[in-house]
Amino acid sequence: MTARFTRRDDGTLDLTLDQAEADLIRALPDQLLAVYQGDRDDPARQRLFPRAYLDPTEEEAENQWEDLVHPDLLTDRVAALDTLRDAIDQAEPARRGLVVVHIDADQADRWLSVLNDARLALGTRIGVTEDTDLSQLDSRDPDAAPKAAYAWLTYLQGELVETLLG
Amino acid sequence: MSAPAAPAPPAPLQVEEPDLDESLVTDRPWLVIVWNDPVNLMSYVVYVFQKLFGYSREKATRLMLEVHHDGKAVVSDGNREKAEADVARLHAHGLWATMEHSS
Repeated sequence: MTARFTRRDDGTLDLTLDQAEADLIRALPDQLLAVYQGDRDDPARQRLFPRAYLDPTEEEAENQWEDLVHPDLLTDRVAALDTLRDAIDQAEPARRGLVVVHIDADQADRWLSVLNDARLALGTRIGVTEDTDLSQLDSRDPDAAPKAAYAWLTYLQGELVETLLG
Repeated sequence: MSAPAAPAPPAPLQVEEPDLDESLVTDRPWLVIVWNDPVNLMSYVVYVFQKLFGYSREKATRLMLEVHHDGKAVVSDGNREKAEADVARLHAHGLWATMEHSS
């Protein structure tokens, strides 16, 4: 994998990607927006907007809470998608066909959120469990592409968390 | 799972039920619970607990491991409004969180 984060002296991050990786990230905002604004019964959407109350007798409180917070949660998520889209579109070409994406300190959390949402949505679609092993992918598997994307996004998010915690 | 039969609770005293409105019942705090899921990275969950609640790396790691091993952990508590806000912040970060009244 090509992707790697490097921290500059001013605390901002550079993310180096090859073109295929940049294309994968560039496609995430539209894919996630379709989930955010899609069918409320979609399991991926339900995973991204779960209930606050499990207790069925709290249905009224649940509905009030959703009416109160879901518009803000959606607004923040869409803003994070815009941050990623803009960053990829403004990526600078580097040697050997690579691109460098610049990420400000306050944008890094939005990157984390989008990468995490993408993994939650993909993970729900391909049915990831605690026992899922994506280290050996079978190209005949009809889900090979989303599984490979999920595995790569897992790597990338892990690298970003380690960079931020480091 | 099984557990030994609990002893019968003592018969309740007959008391007159006062009219309690919501503001008087808030002594019993709401618990904010994070549930285990197979997608969220352990390192990411630690990062979120530190960022949202200001917990030390040690406390955030302990809570993450409790979620991972026990399936869930109480990560914060408070009145209904605080719990609802904490759940919303956890959902904003993709963690699977719910709230319930402590028993």
